[in-house]
Amino acid sequence: MEFYLYLALFSPLVGSLVAGLFGARPKTLLTGLFTSTLLFTALVSSTILLVHILDGGDIIHVELMTWMATGDLYIPFGFVVDQVSVVMMMVVTLVSTVVHIYSIGYMDHDKGFNRFFSYLSAFVFSMMILVMSDNFAGLFIGWEGVGLCSWLLIGFWYHKESATWAANEAFIMNRIADLAMLIGMFLIYWTTGSLQYDIAFAEFAHVDVETLTTIGIFLFIGAMGKSAQFPLHTWLADAMEGPTPVSALIHAATMVTAGVYLVVRANPLYDLIPDVGYFIASLGAFVAMFAASMALVNRDMKRIIAYSTLSQLGYMFVAAGLGAYWVALFHLMAHAFFKALLFLGAGNVMHAMDDELDPFKMGGLKKHMKWTWIMMTLASVALAGIYPLAGFFSKDLILEVAFVEHHYILYAVLLITAMMTAFYSFRLISLIFHGTERHKQHGFHPHETYTFVLIAMSPLAILALVAGFLFKGSYIEMVTTLLPATEYHIHSPIVFWIMTIGTQLLVGLSIAYAYRKYEHAKIDKKIEDNFFYKLLINQWYIPHFYEEYITKPYRELSMIAWKQVDLKIVDASVDGIANIFYKTGEATHNMQDGNLSTMLRWMVAGTAVLLILAVAFTTGYLMLLLAFIVGYLYVNRLRREYVR
Amino acid sequence: MLDNILTILIFFPALAAMLGFVVEKGSIRAFGVSVATVEFVLSLALWYAYDPSVVGMQFMESMPLIPAFGINYLLGIDAISLFIIVLATFITLIGIATLGEVKNIKNMIITLLFLEMTMIGVFSALDAIVFYVFWELSLVPMLYLIGAWGGPKRIYASIKFFLYTFTGSLIMLVGMLFMAYFYYQATGAWSFSILEWYRLVLPENLQLWLFVAFFMGFAIKVPMFPFHTWLPYAHGQAPTIGSVILAAILLKMGTYAFVRFSLPMFPDAAVFFMIPIAIIAIIMIIYTAMVAYAQEDIKQVVAYSSVSHMGVIILGTFALNVEGITGSVFLMIAHGVVSGALFFLVGVIYDRRHTKMMSEFGGLAHVMPRYATIFGVMMMASVGLPLTINFIGEFLSLLGFYKQSHILTLLAGTAIIVGAIYMLTAYKKAFFGEVTNEKNKNLPDVNKREMFALIPLVIITIWLGIYPKPVLEPINNSVEAIVSLMNEKAITQEAKNRIPDPMAAKVSTPHGGTH
Repeated sequence: MEFYLYLALFSPLVGSLVAGLFGARPKTLLTGLFTSTLLFTALVSSTILLVHILDGGDIIHVELMTWMATGDLYIPFGFVVDQVSVVMMMVVTLVSTVVHIYSIGYMDHDKGFNRFFSYLSAFVFSMMILVMSDNFAGLFIGWEGVGLCSWLLIGFWYHKESATWAANEAFIMNRIADLAMLIGMFLIYWTTGSLQYDIAFAEFAHVDVETLTTIGIFLFIGAMGKSAQFPLHTWLADAMEGPTPVSALIHAATMVTAGVYLVVRANPLYDLIPDVGYFIASLGAFVAMFAASMALVNRDMKRIIAYSTLSQLGYMFVAAGLGAYWVALFHLMAHAFFKALLFLGAGNVMHAMDDELDPFKMGGLKKHMKWTWIMMTLASVALAGIYPLAGFFSKDLILEVAFVEHHYILYAVLLITAMMTAFYSFRLISLIFHGTERHKQHGFHPHETYTFVLIAMSPLAILALVAGFLFKGSYIEMVTTLLPATEYHIHSPIVFWIMTIGTQLLVGLSIAYAYRKYEHAKIDKKIEDNFFYKLLINQWYIPHFYEEYITKPYRELSMIAWKQVDLKIVDASVDGIANIFYKTGEATHNMQDGNLSTMLRWMVAGTAVLLILAVAFTTGYLMLLLAFIVGYLYVNRLRREYVR
Repeated sequence: MLDNILTILIFFPALAAMLGFVVEKGSIRAFGVSVATVEFVLSLALWYAYDPSVVGMQFMESMPLIPAFGINYLLGIDAISLFIIVLATFITLIGIATLGEVKNIKNMIITLLFLEMTMIGVFSALDAIVFYVFWELSLVPMLYLIGAWGGPKRIYASIKFFLYTFTGSLIMLVGMLFMAYFYYQATGAWSFSILEWYRLVLPENLQLWLFVAFFMGFAIKVPMFPFHTWLPYAHGQAPTIGSVILAAILLKMGTYAFVRFSLPMFPDAAVFFMIPIAIIAIIMIIYTAMVAYAQEDIKQVVAYSSVSHMGVIILGTFALNVEGITGSVFLMIAHGVVSGALFFLVGVIYDRRHTKMMSEFGGLAHVMPRYATIFGVMMMASVGLPLTINFIGEFLSLLGFYKQSHILTLLAGTAIIVGAIYMLTAYKKAFFGEVTNEKNKNLPDVNKREMFALIPLVIITIWLGIYPKPVLEPINNSVEAIVSLMNEKAITQEAKNRIPDPMAAKVSTPHGGTH
């Protein structure tokens, strides 16, 4: 089994390196095929490992070699395949295989074809390290690795100012969170003496709650960066500058869920500090609604889906924060399938529409792109949580968790958000695929994408359809051997049915409303002048706030630090001191002008001073004062004479 | 030969340099490269022969110079000096090998070889006077490098460099003399041997004064805020090779000296000054990173970033535990490799365009993809991405200091944020976007000669990032010796608490935990 572990881990790396060798060359289809094949290998290996674990096989734990060892610190490259990581491995390899094959079609005409595949596979490798590591430091390698790849891929079209700007924003904002993550790790090390999961988690039982709370908070701040939780969320929407397959893989299915994975992985820690957990859940619920609100009005197809991702991440954090780790992980998995599908569908639409992103310029596309329409609708239905698609089983479960745990406010927030989700999803579907063909006015000639691309997408479509009712049972059985096996059942059957059917009805109504309202894509001027509309379309003015009150002051402060402080104060005082010596030298060098009488006078003056000092030290300070006065007068006279 | 290998390492380049005066101008380049290669191979032999399991100094040599005052020609190395020596010979080799077209190339190569002598002398001297002599001698070739091959303000820059560092060193010399005098009073015999000084337990009050005296010399060399302003001028005016050596090796003299002198000789003072120095280090990290962000000249960005990283090294040194000091020594090597490489890279574009202003560039990734890639790798190393050499050092330095102060480490940790800000911004300005400047349209990519310098640096950056053990383990052993000496010598209870005994920890938790 170890062999499959290494195969799953390193095949993406090999693919990336080989593709990287051709990085600067013009397109060679081979790099795409080669990396995809290796990704498929990783997928097969992961499946074998999954079957092994499902069969009740032992957890596979290997140590490749030492990474860092100094003092008492010992960090190996260790990897573990257990019930949690194998789920993540499946999600990562499956979605990335699909995305790789899809990209062969999507990046068909791109100059950077080879480079793209190199980056994409490197990302998968980092992600595998992130989920498979058996210690926090290894997780951090993957954590930063995916950050790097995200930077490379968001800024993939580096001639675009907006793309490179977004890439830098994503990297820097993630770095803020990474610092918290590092601090959390330091605290874990100095508290438990190790960064290995098993050792540290076992030690936590003996650690005081205060320290644990601090650790929990810092780790969660780290998670907030990668999973783009408020207030570190702005980068995710801007990250849509990257190629669409990247958005599907990195900014929907895998990397952004790393934060959720971290909380799930650290469940022994968060179980001990329910207060932090409650905070996580509340923030998650807030983000769920907050992000959905921005998706309601946006006119950029990819941004709408990005906000939707953000919102769903909020759902996952609610589950994780309330201790329902397996529910969070389940939603993570289901969401990966249908959200990646949604993004890939959006990619097809973009290709058909010459990279146009405004759905108001589309309409009626279902005639031209039937399969894309079907798949995107399927994904949206799943996202809305309609029975029997995947979203129903995972998302409604989170609502139930909130309800059963008596967090009714969270429940209400999530319920309203579910309606908003249904609304904005079908607003988008309606605008793109239904109604009149507005794109004709803009001179677009939409066409369906390559067949092999559609076939590549089909596994995701099937999973979005069946993942819920087919896998839920065996999934629960598997992961609850590792995660707390709390069951969330509403005991009264009446309440259960009212809630389930009620939710379905509300969501269904939202869908119908969105569909009707946007079928004709009328832009309502009155609404656009509305205060709330402005608030939402400007993303609650948060990016504006960051620009005005953080970025700009930092830039200005930096200029001040350089021009005013460094040059005018620090350096100027150094030069000032040097100048004192220069000036005194210049002013006094005439003292030794070789003129015998001048020099004799100075000699007398010197002797006098010495004598006076000698007298002063023997007879006291009064004399010293007197001597100074006398000396001063003498020297002054001498100087006057000398000047003359 | 191994008995005198340090002497050979020190004086071989110097002798060769003198011989260089009679070498024909046409063959001086080959001559220089051969000498540097021999020297580099010798240093590798030194590494090979070095036994990491031995505690204490190795390859010791001793010869009386002025017996009346206990001044000896005393040499020896431990792992801390070993790797800086190897780095010095390596950087000198690739520096000479990749020299572009410069006027008076003969003089330059001779200067570089002399500089190599002084560098190795500093890192292998165990007698304070010998150390001081090499320390000061190193100023002369550098002064000449900046003054003779520098930019338009080279005279100002070189004099500033010389006078500033020289002033600091004089105060350090006074400290050394007083230390020897105290040793004489305590034992009745004169000695300038650092190893003898180690054995002396000084009263706390005296430690404080001596610490400050040594600190002045070291701090200006590092350079620590607010003594750093000579550095931007020196880098700004120095030729590429001068900047590379200055950043990679010469600055390390200061941080090395902290580990060699200040910590083991004045443990109580080190504890006493730990917090103030950490605050200075944090100012260095954040403030110079901000200044770096404001720069318009890409070389100045790298220069200020260098100061910012030195802040992390200082912080790690004053963590006063094995994790932190090992990290900081490792970071010295890492910073040498990475900032050296960055200065090389700036030199590459300067050779082509004769300007370093970022506004002149933009879109270089289109025209020079290989250059952009290598620059990107080095930038990411500088930013401290895991699996690069810098991360190991930064991680351990910060980890170590976290034990001493949580809040200060949090502040110092902003290094990873502010570092990313100035580096990514500079990279974006120079490499991304469209090629707008006509002059950049047809720039040739990195050539073979430049590859010769850059590829090994890239390999080291990644190799030691993934597998730091060959360097980290010996350093760890030498640092453990220093920390246990400090722990043993510490007088105050505060210092005893702050400096953990590494040997005690070994007993309670065996190495590697439960594996």
